[in-house]
Amino acid sequence: MDKITTEDLSLYYGEKRVISSINLSILENNITAIIGPSGCGKSSFLRCLNRMNDLILNSRLTGKIFLDGKDIHGNNTDVVEIRRKVGMVFQKPNPFPKSIYDNVAYGLRIKGIKKTSQVSEIVEKSLVASGLFKEVKDELHKSAMELSGGQQQRLCIARALAIEPEVLLMDEPCSALDPASTFKIEDLMSELKKSYTIIIVTHNMQQAARVSDWTGFLYLGELIEFNETSKLFTAPREQLTENYITGRFG
Amino acid sequence: MKKIKEWFGFFLLKASAILILGIVVLLLLFIGIQGAKVINLEFLFSFPKEGMTSGGIFPAVFGTVALTLITTFFSIPFGIGAAIYLSEYAKEGRLVSFIRASIRNLAGVPSIVYGLFGVALFVQSLNLGASILASGLTLGLLTLPWVIAVSEEAIKSVPKSFREGALALGATKWQTTRLVLRYATPGILTGAILGLSRAAGETAPILFTGVCFWLPKLPGSIFDQFMALPYHLYILSTQHYDLEKVRPIAFGTAFVLVSFVFGLNLIALIIRTRLRKDYG
Repeated sequence: MDKITTEDLSLYYGEKRVISSINLSILENNITAIIGPSGCGKSSFLRCLNRMNDLILNSRLTGKIFLDGKDIHGNNTDVVEIRRKVGMVFQKPNPFPKSIYDNVAYGLRIKGIKKTSQVSEIVEKSLVASGLFKEVKDELHKSAMELSGGQQQRLCIARALAIEPEVLLMDEPCSALDPASTFKIEDLMSELKKSYTIIIVTHNMQQAARVSDWTGFLYLGELIEFNETSKLFTAPREQLTENYITGRFG
Repeated sequence: MKKIKEWFGFFLLKASAILILGIVVLLLLFIGIQGAKVINLEFLFSFPKEGMTSGGIFPAVFGTVALTLITTFFSIPFGIGAAIYLSEYAKEGRLVSFIRASIRNLAGVPSIVYGLFGVALFVQSLNLGASILASGLTLGLLTLPWVIAVSEEAIKSVPKSFREGALALGATKWQTTRLVLRYATPGILTGAILGLSRAAGETAPILFTGVCFWLPKLPGSIFDQFMALPYHLYILSTQHYDLEKVRPIAFGTAFVLVSFVFGLNLIALIIRTRLRKDYG
């Protein structure tokens, strides 16, 4: 089933068009990868899906984005509601300078869940789901800033999972991590797709090939090709895609 | 050749640092040695006697502490509030740029101008009379631009990734602002306290608005006049009929004033290092 669909989606920063009429359907409980060279608009595209571009002055969006068939820019859509359903993990791990526990609990508390037993339960569940629990279970009240980069990123994933989103956006989640941590997060993704729809932006084609079910190739703001990952990497339809995945540019 | 150049440049930088440090240390030593001669508990906690030629400076100490509290009360909440509005809520545009430029300019206005303004606004128009309240409000105005500017800087220096992290978790604008404020607090407090310590040492703004040469008792309410350390020092060093005789007391007063300001700065330093520890 389609979880997210975009219809003729374009995004402008001032006069500059960074995304050009993208039509795309993202399947529920699948991992969709968006690949493309730096500056192709893949992060901007991802940030459209939870309306993070709202924050950027002078940004303007045309076209439509539907989440479960509902327009996310519709009149009676609450942006806070959208962001709770569509969680995000950023390129650079960005834990809050609070304890591990409080980082995961933050989303719950601002949602109004205050009961300690309930919060503790969800915090533990989320840390287990992000594969971090075993490593930190005895030091939940240690500052998150003392964790390693890979652990911080898994903490950010746990933080996003705690508020039970339906979609998880991942913006180059491994680009600041070492290979071992990258491997852990990729493993985690295949586990998570059972319950979540995942969209990952990556400049690492091997990563896209390893983890995703579907891949879209973005170039200069246009969606050049979108197909099942196995097909896109073995038999691309477009010359441009072939050039990119064989390393002739980018 | 390159080595010599580098050595020379480095030498210049080091020399300027040592020079500045030397001047400060010399100044403090001078005031410290001169002031320490008269400082004791009695000096701090008794009233001036015999035309200020003996006795202590208690009313001036009390006045300065009370005045600083009143100043804090007015400048900190309004200053931080204005900074939050400017950095988080105001739509960038001509009006906001104009407001910001005005605040920067106000920070450079000489303190005597604030004094005159204080007389016109608080003492006369608002009919508060010459009082510790009018002086506190005037000093509040003086520190306000400073508090706004440092608070805005502190808020801006919180990394964008915090904001995005919170928003992506479904935080509302206000919830995000609160999180940002938490991490801006060390910077805001440090700046605000430094501003207050400057205000505590000002003479000109309180000169017309409520400070007194000599009072037989402490101010009983915020509508009473008061004595203050900087003004007391001014009187003792230039206006007294027997300058030679009161010189030690003047140094003692200077020592207490400098210690007070130093104390405030020390508090700022402690707050900053304490809160920064959580940052990692």
